[in-house]
Amino acid sequence: MQRAAAQHTPAAGQQSSGPVVWISIIAGTCLLLFFFQKILWLVVPFLLALILYYFLYPSMQALIYRGMSREAAASLVTLGFLALLSVLGLALMPWVTAHISGWQDIFTGYIQGGLRLLDRSLRALEEHWSTLAHARLADTVATRLAQGTGSVADHLEPVAIGIMAWTPSLLLAPFLAFFFLRDGRRFQRFLGDAVPNAFFEKTLYLLHEIDRTSRAYFQGLIKLTLLDTLTLAAGLWLLGIPGPFALGLICAVLAWIPYVGSILGGLLVVLVAATDFPDAPGMAYWAIALFMAVRLLDDFVYMPLTIGKSLELHPLVTVLMIFVGGAVAGVSGLMLVLPVLGVVTVIGETVGVIVTDPRLRARHRHAKALRREQASGDL
Amino acid sequence: MINLFRPRRTTPRLDRLRNLSLFVNLTPGELQIVDGLLHERDYLAGEVIFDEGEEGQAIYIVAAGEVMICRQGHGEAGRLAQLAPGTFFGELALLDNSPRSAQARAATACQLIVFFRDDFVGLLDTHARIASKISRELAHHLGARMRDMALAAGAHQHL
Repeated sequence: MQRAAAQHTPAAGQQSSGPVVWISIIAGTCLLLFFFQKILWLVVPFLLALILYYFLYPSMQALIYRGMSREAAASLVTLGFLALLSVLGLALMPWVTAHISGWQDIFTGYIQGGLRLLDRSLRALEEHWSTLAHARLADTVATRLAQGTGSVADHLEPVAIGIMAWTPSLLLAPFLAFFFLRDGRRFQRFLGDAVPNAFFEKTLYLLHEIDRTSRAYFQGLIKLTLLDTLTLAAGLWLLGIPGPFALGLICAVLAWIPYVGSILGGLLVVLVAATDFPDAPGMAYWAIALFMAVRLLDDFVYMPLTIGKSLELHPLVTVLMIFVGGAVAGVSGLMLVLPVLGVVTVIGETVGVIVTDPRLRARHRHAKALRREQASGDL
Repeated sequence: MINLFRPRRTTPRLDRLRNLSLFVNLTPGELQIVDGLLHERDYLAGEVIFDEGEEGQAIYIVAAGEVMICRQGHGEAGRLAQLAPGTFFGELALLDNSPRSAQARAATACQLIVFFRDDFVGLLDTHARIASKISRELAHHLGARMRDMALAAGAHQHL
């Protein structure tokens, strides 16, 4: 599934961007992705903080509307969120401690279930296709998988180390979100004040467009995740697959990574269906059908309802940029490419309009001459 | 118990804002919210604030100094109005994104308060009461201007 980034439409009366601006936008996006990949420890909490900011922003606005100061409202919603997280953590703690010892067996069970499904499917194919049977495809794949998979501990160890390494930087997210909530507008004013008078209105417009773009993208993403979770959970519950809500939520969050995330989510659902219903292989196929139906529903119904058609980039540009993002910065590039491209597009198009506007440049030169004259008037 | 919703104290800056006709009906708390949305800009005498035909993004309030509204390229002959502190101009930009109908230029060194349209639109969503008070002042101002124009054109009719 493609998560669409926002597109900036130049205001009425402005010329649309030329090829130079677009090449700069694409080059800028690639450079940023390359740079972000190097500081992923900061980019990921920053991105999570942005999602949290847009999630908490309506609550803060509601408090400000009731007369609370921005500082107090930002503190209260952040503390409220942290308190909610703590309560959830404490509530889940007994369940986690009771089940944690069994997770390794569950994990192994699901992997084995998936391998059994694959083996069964390949053998069924061999029965109908003599070429595959001659090539002994099922045996070859089984041997290679046995060589490649190794023990569960081999896989869990790097995951556990990764979680421990990432936890401190992830704790930055609520901290950053609080300051976004409290000082975001002050920062916007600070940036606006640094701009010369001639470019001031256009710059304000640019800052608002970036804010609007990011807001539309992240709030849309939150709504889309909720809709995906509910639809998948309902479908999985109807199929009788255990833990439908948790499974739906994991798949919906995985879908934040274009294409790769959807494939991983689909794989997860199939593994669960194949393992929990070993005697009913049809269940895995039903799970695949459900997953594809939800993806279609997501692309054609939920996406226009949440992120919105008006915010989408050209589909060709979107797909090409996803591949470019993946090539430049791997999985992090896949995840970051669309929001980064959306913001860089807004900046690129507006800067293009400002820099190529001879009247604005002439006004700036005139203002500079006036200031020079004033500064040297008594010399 | 800490009262998070207590009435706010007024400050000299807020008092100055309240003296501006656009914000005359706002309470100190409401003024504080609006204050967070305003920008201040300094212009030298003769500096262009905006051009005729340019897409309007913001309303300007004269905090200090004077501003000249004129026909672009007509010099002194094109002067339409001279605005004193407390008045505002470019107000149609708050309502739509139509082109500016005249050029605004600093007649003297001046300080302007800028209220951006998207901030006003945001205010309509989040603080409808404040936005309605500002809209009412804006409507009063536009009504007075229409009456003046009608009188100037010699049309003796009630608007």
